[in-house]
Amino acid sequence: MTPPVVSRVRSLTKISSERFGLVGLILVGVALLLIGARMVSGPIAVLVLVFAALVVVGWISLAILGNPETKRALAPYGLLKPGSMWLALFYLAPLWTLLKSSLSSKETRFEVFPSFTWEFANYGKAFSDFGPQFGRSFLYAGIATALTILIGYPIAYVIAFRAGKYRNLLLGLVVIPFFTSYLIRTIAWTSILADSGPVVGIIESIHLTGVLESLNVMDNGRLINTPAAVIGGLTYNFLPFMILPIYVSLEKIDIGLVDAAQDLYSSGSRALRKVVLPLSIPGVFAGTLLTFIPAAGDFVNAQFLGNPNTTMIGNSIQDQFLRQNNYPVASAMSFVLMAIITALVVVYSRFFGTEDLA
Amino acid sequence: MNISKREFSRRQLLIRSGLAGAAGLSLPAILAACGGDDGGDSGALTLLFENWPEYIDVTDGDVLGTIDRFIAASGVAMSYSEAFNDNLEYFAKIQPLLGTGKSIEADIIAPTQWMAGRLRKLDWLEKLPLNKIPNSKNLEDAFKLPPSDPTGEYSLPWQSGIAGIAYNIDATGRELKSIADLFDPEFKGKIGMLTEMRDTVGLLLLGLGVNPSDITSFDEAAGAFEQLEKAKSDGQIRAFTGNDYIDDLGLGNFAACIGWSGDVLQLGIDNPSVRFVVPEEGATLWWDTMVVPKGAKNVEAAAKFMDFVYDPVQAAQLTAYVQYISPVKGVREEVAKIDSALADNPLLFPDDETKKRFFPFADLSDEVEMQFEEAFSGIIGA
Repeated sequence: MTPPVVSRVRSLTKISSERFGLVGLILVGVALLLIGARMVSGPIAVLVLVFAALVVVGWISLAILGNPETKRALAPYGLLKPGSMWLALFYLAPLWTLLKSSLSSKETRFEVFPSFTWEFANYGKAFSDFGPQFGRSFLYAGIATALTILIGYPIAYVIAFRAGKYRNLLLGLVVIPFFTSYLIRTIAWTSILADSGPVVGIIESIHLTGVLESLNVMDNGRLINTPAAVIGGLTYNFLPFMILPIYVSLEKIDIGLVDAAQDLYSSGSRALRKVVLPLSIPGVFAGTLLTFIPAAGDFVNAQFLGNPNTTMIGNSIQDQFLRQNNYPVASAMSFVLMAIITALVVVYSRFFGTEDLA
Repeated sequence: MNISKREFSRRQLLIRSGLAGAAGLSLPAILAACGGDDGGDSGALTLLFENWPEYIDVTDGDVLGTIDRFIAASGVAMSYSEAFNDNLEYFAKIQPLLGTGKSIEADIIAPTQWMAGRLRKLDWLEKLPLNKIPNSKNLEDAFKLPPSDPTGEYSLPWQSGIAGIAYNIDATGRELKSIADLFDPEFKGKIGMLTEMRDTVGLLLLGLGVNPSDITSFDEAAGAFEQLEKAKSDGQIRAFTGNDYIDDLGLGNFAACIGWSGDVLQLGIDNPSVRFVVPEEGATLWWDTMVVPKGAKNVEAAAKFMDFVYDPVQAAQLTAYVQYISPVKGVREEVAKIDSALADNPLLFPDDETKKRFFPFADLSDEVEMQFEEAFSGIIGA
């Protein structure tokens, strides 16, 4: 009774439905990459798009018409498809364009589209001209990440184990700053820390200026436009990204484990060290990634809270892109930044181990 | 009829930008999208002027600002935006469009004179229909045929001003007179300088006894760059800013900075501690222009507007508000009718003696300009 087309489809998919799923996934991904990176354009781009659409349509009809076995074989690929299409169009394609741009050179000063010439010198320039900015970025981001752990872990601990009925309220307070824009929160610090502002006034009236200056927190009697202000801004802005993952991993810990440790004559601090801390490491690991990676590329804090000697690599990349019109070098700088961060993350995850990352 | 036509074109625009989004993810396209301009709209009948912040008189109660007076007098629909914050930034924003033969939304833009010269050389400007701007005869002689526009067909000055020293006397504790004061160790970490290369470097050159109008090569200006680099690494300079130095100066975060005359005079009205001085070594003179970008849709209306603001009666109201130097003849007499003290202010109406202390920055060749910009961006540390 089945129409002949459908039966043919069924017999086809019985042989290689799994392979078809994988190939279809790759084909659509490549098609979107080609279009997104402008490697094809005009009528060919339309053809590629139609082709990709046909693959998706064929794919969906297979999933509808195929027998249960086929459906089961195709399901994982079907679930992967939206994500991989997104990835191809909005991650791989721009990345490819960026890579190409980083190896291009401008023939004339105001050329809009630099031509691709395997210009590796751009990478040399990114390293030689912007070494200090790279160094500062990782230094500031590293210090800020350490500070967010020191501040965030106790907060997460209290919320997870000691807050009782106030738990949701405290979590809400952690998230509340996000109701205001990142930029506004950072600019607000410029008035809080201003030379004539409240914080400097209090420090002066209790004569702490000298102490803070010897600790390098203040410079010449001011708080703002110092390295400390930049690091402080980064710490403040990324703190919730550290608290929330740590809270999640702490919250899962069965409090009975601590009781068990204490039944076995462990002191409270030892139980914390031997039981709670190791079990919460995945949260610290996730928090570190969420804090360090964006902090290393941040330019907002350095721009508003820093001075000309505290610029980070994000500021330089922004300047090269948006003021100097130097897309090739700016792209190379972005790539170097990505490469260094990737390397650091790989080393870090080897050291910490991501198997437990939940 | 009109409405349905407009909706159609709007839908077309949406479809087109959707396609562009799918097909065009190259970097310049993304950056252009950040600028928020889509070149392809049709039926834009509103004249759009993109100018620098706080650079025009605004309507306050019954007193109409320039834009509203123009709309009332001409019946032309007009909108005004303060999208112009920095010459290089604005250039980077329009480059992907004008550089590929597309048009931008604005009909009049306000690049500084040297930037107008760059746009003209790139052939990104429309010629002004000067026969429809009869008041252009009122242009002051000093602004006629500058090197940036040797035939005078592409630009008309908007306002002119000088970059000198602005300071907050509460923070300095004394009056400042000299460019050397910017390097006084007493003000360590309390000095601001401008991201506008010609104003900062020009002023430092004057401090070193070099005339910035005569510069032809990078070597002649190397001293100023060395001085700047040293001041920056020593922590003398707190920040390099655009127009936002005004806030830091008012708050006293900056004891002194390089500032623009009109800005500081405006701020000084509300905050008497803020003062502006032409340093004894001299100050740099600049002017911003009105130019029409290539492919603008309302050239006729733009000409009407330029004609309107070149009428001394109108220009006087603008000048009295923004406190910059007007490029229009006869404004002084008109300002005297509004505020006689203002008409005697040498910062607005410089006499010949004062004029000798104002130095425009030299017209740099492409290659030299590039060296200057690279060295400068290296120092300001962005």
